[in-house]
Amino acid sequence: MAEGQSRKAVEWKAVGKRLYKDRYVYLMIAPVVAYFLIFNYWPMAWLSISFYDYKILGGFARSQFVGFANFIHFFTEMDAWRYIWNTLAINFLALAFVFPAPIIFALLLNEVRGVGVKKTIQTVSYLPYFISTLVLVGLINNFLSPSIGPLNQILASMGMEKIYFLGDPKYFRTILVVSGIWQGCGWSAIVYLAAISGIDSQLYEAAQIDGANRFRQVLHITIPGIATTIVIMLLLQIGNLLNSNFEKMFLLQNPYNTSISEVLATFVYKQAMRQGNYSLATAVGLFNSCVTLLLVSISNKLSRRYSGTSIW
Amino acid sequence: MAKSKAFRPSVGERVFRAINMAFLVLFCLTILYPFLNMISVSFSDSFAVLRSEVTFYPIGFNADAYRQVIFNPNIIRSYLNTIFVAVMGSVLSLIFTSMAAYPLAFCDFIGKKAFNVFITITLWFSGGIIPSFLVIRSLGLVDSLFSLILSAMIGAFNVIILRSFFSNLPVSLVESARIDGANDFSILFRIVMPLSKAALSTIALWVIVAHWNNYIAPLMYLKSRENYTLQMVLRDIVLASEGNIYQIESSGASIEGGVTAISDQVKNAVLMFSMVPMLILYPFIQKYFVTGVTLGSVKE
Repeated sequence: MAEGQSRKAVEWKAVGKRLYKDRYVYLMIAPVVAYFLIFNYWPMAWLSISFYDYKILGGFARSQFVGFANFIHFFTEMDAWRYIWNTLAINFLALAFVFPAPIIFALLLNEVRGVGVKKTIQTVSYLPYFISTLVLVGLINNFLSPSIGPLNQILASMGMEKIYFLGDPKYFRTILVVSGIWQGCGWSAIVYLAAISGIDSQLYEAAQIDGANRFRQVLHITIPGIATTIVIMLLLQIGNLLNSNFEKMFLLQNPYNTSISEVLATFVYKQAMRQGNYSLATAVGLFNSCVTLLLVSISNKLSRRYSGTSIW
Repeated sequence: MAKSKAFRPSVGERVFRAINMAFLVLFCLTILYPFLNMISVSFSDSFAVLRSEVTFYPIGFNADAYRQVIFNPNIIRSYLNTIFVAVMGSVLSLIFTSMAAYPLAFCDFIGKKAFNVFITITLWFSGGIIPSFLVIRSLGLVDSLFSLILSAMIGAFNVIILRSFFSNLPVSLVESARIDGANDFSILFRIVMPLSKAALSTIALWVIVAHWNNYIAPLMYLKSRENYTLQMVLRDIVLASEGNIYQIESSGASIEGGVTAISDQVKNAVLMFSMVPMLILYPFIQKYFVTGVTLGSVKE
């Protein structure tokens, strides 16, 4: 007994010594820990107001626990299903069209001979990635403008009537997808190009000896070679799915297209910042995050089973 | 064998290459057109713009729109605010991200695993924009530029990237400094950081670009017009939902429904003006971002 205690004391002493030796390390991570607690974990604690009737003026003292009332209110008395549908529709369109674009671009660019040409095309291609969403929206406004926009000039020159594209809900998703490809295609292709350059060149030489043409080489060597990267990017994309494009949708939104453009994220913002319904907004935001987490877990599981690739 | 094939491509291959090249060139033109159009409209003669004759290149010359923009105190003010946020933000970000990454890369301390998990969790879980706003409000940072700087100061992703850069440095460097009696702060600031200029530049540029283009955070956190950042002013001018609130006289004098609207030329000049720092940084961004992205994805 006494021996055990003294052994424990020795162990504690050793721990104490190690802690002392690393004192500067702890001093170094202290502000980092404090930062993450305040700016990352404290907001998570604020999620609890989803279950309260939180009043910004009275603070927590005046607010009441209401259970799932905020969620029930959202689903029964508001247009919840329309917002959910809009969110899913826009994001699945993005997955179907915006996601494959950089893969195709990378494959095509890889076929270009001449390093200079390749580099120039690539440099041009990621220029749009660095402009702000506001500049992007400004450019969209320019391009689609009924007065100076080239698209309407083409329509006019063909004798057709000019269209106010941004005011018509049926063009909203197309505008979002096309501008998404325009802005992100070149940038996202970097990862795929890096993966392509990592493929063993002996594989191509062997295929050439076997008489495989370029197309077959791409089909049987390049695409399988970057499959893992594609799966990882897809999983990461799904993780960002429901929050991506928020700024753009928010800025492209106008009174004429809300039937299509009102998604969960824009709804959350408006409820909180314009109506002051912080509890309801947080509840819907929480719902959004849970759906995202569910989507990522399902796709991660499927991916691990069928392709052996997963992000955790 | 391989060489002779490469020198004499089949007809099908040559046709494919030609089509491929044409497609990629067209793609580049689609990317460049909006930018060229923006520059041309902002510099052209007002009447040419009104007759919508301007496409790829300016017609006539008129820098009046830029005069309006550069001499507008609100725009300049917001420009300076944004520079302050971007510079301050990136300096603080570098210091604190390094302080998070250094122990993970070089030290073996009790609680390291917990510290790692503590940071990594924030990659996957967050409170969302409204709870973050409520925290900023509780801290009394609403309407302060520091709300923008602090809320984006340390990111888990940057910590992970920097840690993997640090891990590539020789450990002996750190160990011998320790034997010489240097403490971890001086090792980090005097040895590790000066040797990681490429990695730190990547992260600094990342933070600068993010601050420069940030719109939602200023929209939520800033209230008074003198604290507005560039993107906020850009919204008021380009989307002009609240009319001409910055007293910009319209050089094109287009009057819609009795209200003087901000002319397309001024709008484009402001857009162009807002992009100047990004265009100056673009060569560096290119160099460092690309290596950063590929490293981040390989190292994960």
